Amino acid sequence: MSDTARARRPLKQGYFTVPEDPVEPPKLLGTLCKDCGEYFFPRRAVCAKCLSENTGDALLGPQGTLYSYTFVHFPLFGSTRMEHVGYGVGQVDLPEGPRVQTPLAGKQEDFTVGMPLIAELEPIREDGDKDVVILRFRPTTSAGGAR
Amino acid sequence: MSILNNGREVAILGVGMHRFGMFPDSSNAEMGRIAGLAALKDAGLGFKDVNAAYAGQIFAPVMTGVRVMKEFGLTGIPVQRLDNASATGSACLYEAVGAVAGGRYDVAMVLGFDKMTSMIQDSTAGTDPANLEDAILPAAFFAMWATRRMHERGTKVEHLAKIAAKNWNNGARNPMAQRQSDKPVTYEKVLSSRMVAWPLTTMMSCPIGDGAACAIVGTVELAKKLNPGRPVVKVVASALQSERYDRGHLFMGPVVGPGRMTVDTSAVCYQQAGVGPKDIDFVQVHDAFAIEELEYYELLGMCARGEAEACIERGDFELGGRVPFSTDGGLIARGHPGGPTGLAQIWESTLQLRGEAGKRQVENARTGLCQMMGGGSVCVIHILQKG
Repeated sequence: MSDTARARRPLKQGYFTVPEDPVEPPKLLGTLCKDCGEYFFPRRAVCAKCLSENTGDALLGPQGTLYSYTFVHFPLFGSTRMEHVGYGVGQVDLPEGPRVQTPLAGKQEDFTVGMPLIAELEPIREDGDKDVVILRFRPTTSAGGAR
Repeated sequence: MSILNNGREVAILGVGMHRFGMFPDSSNAEMGRIAGLAALKDAGLGFKDVNAAYAGQIFAPVMTGVRVMKEFGLTGIPVQRLDNASATGSACLYEAVGAVAGGRYDVAMVLGFDKMTSMIQDSTAGTDPANLEDAILPAAFFAMWATRRMHERGTKVEHLAKIAAKNWNNGARNPMAQRQSDKPVTYEKVLSSRMVAWPLTTMMSCPIGDGAACAIVGTVELAKKLNPGRPVVKVVASALQSERYDRGHLFMGPVVGPGRMTVDTSAVCYQQAGVGPKDIDFVQVHDAFAIEELEYYELLGMCARGEAEACIERGDFELGGRVPFSTDGGLIARGHPGGPTGLAQIWESTLQLRGEAGKRQVENARTGLCQMMGGGSVCVIHILQKG
């Protein structure tokens, strides 16, 4: 796969990494408060918990736990690549603490509350010689396991 | 301490509405004028008596607030436009109540209006792919409340469908409701409607619509003078809160909550009013999706944690039940254009307390609670009481 892998760019900068190696899962771009130790996603300058400005960048994930989910019976915005029968959406608890809402890979019957997930990048369209990718999570067999 | 406990006693002097629905040929100015003139007439006042106006709108362009207010005449009064998502009308009322209680104005006009239909027509098809958050629709957000609730409490889709059917059937008794079914709506019919975001179907979700609603706020003293034969509708609690940080807080998406915000805001209101949940005779909430109303039964203290499902099965929250909820049809049936929605709750509660709610009248209604959520998010609660 790596021989034919196309270059990728994120749909929007500043939310997740796009690893060179397509097999490597992405990480989420978050913030750590150096005073109280709370993590946040997305990045922010001021700690929402203790109001400290002593914060710094942190990489979060790629593991997660499914807090809740749904399956939306409409097409995902602008996608020419994803299935138009709808898409899963989940609230995902990252091991560092933040909860994020993202699309999920899979069908409704694949999801159960509390299941382990792993982050991945999904192409939604092409931009010249690059794939434009979004972040989503996929059910996995074990915390930290690749697909 | 609240200004309501230290300031002047405040009343709803009058209410008026333009029916909610799809009105492509009606402008914001026209709908706002109809609702506003109805409220002034109901109060027994003219626009010359109004000291200030709060115009609530979400979707209309800049300047619309002050321009719509020109429909009533140009008297030089302060006009402010305010937006707080779904809670816009309620947030306007919160400001007006504080201003009258504090003595800044004697009579304030609170007008909400919106044309959600033209907003939808004007936008490009679908959501904006440049905005990552747009992958999460409001329906999906609340569907995840439902999935979590099912996991924790064993809630069934039938419970959600029964809430929606109740609100559809209440709406059929309200001439201002957007959805007025000509025959009773069963929960089976709700379940068979189109799926939006599992487990929420279209009939468990509020419609898109247009409309306007108005409340005239003034002193209790003035209310007694204007309409001596009529019960005075007092505003005995008024609170607005934004979120407090807890771990697991969602910073992206069409977020409403967490539940703690409704608990905290209602606690402030119960203290201001000197009442508890047991004293509340009827309730209006932000039931944009049926699962919300289920959660608010518990968050507002109308039943214990985990008991909502049993209460639904008993019919506790139906008209004629222990504490009727969404007596006018709620957002699901009365509709939810945006700016006016919270003021439609005040319209309904005022009629209920005066005994003027017709086929949906709650017997011996003395105290009513109105709760609205605004995405982002905020919670606004008012408690009205017959004086």
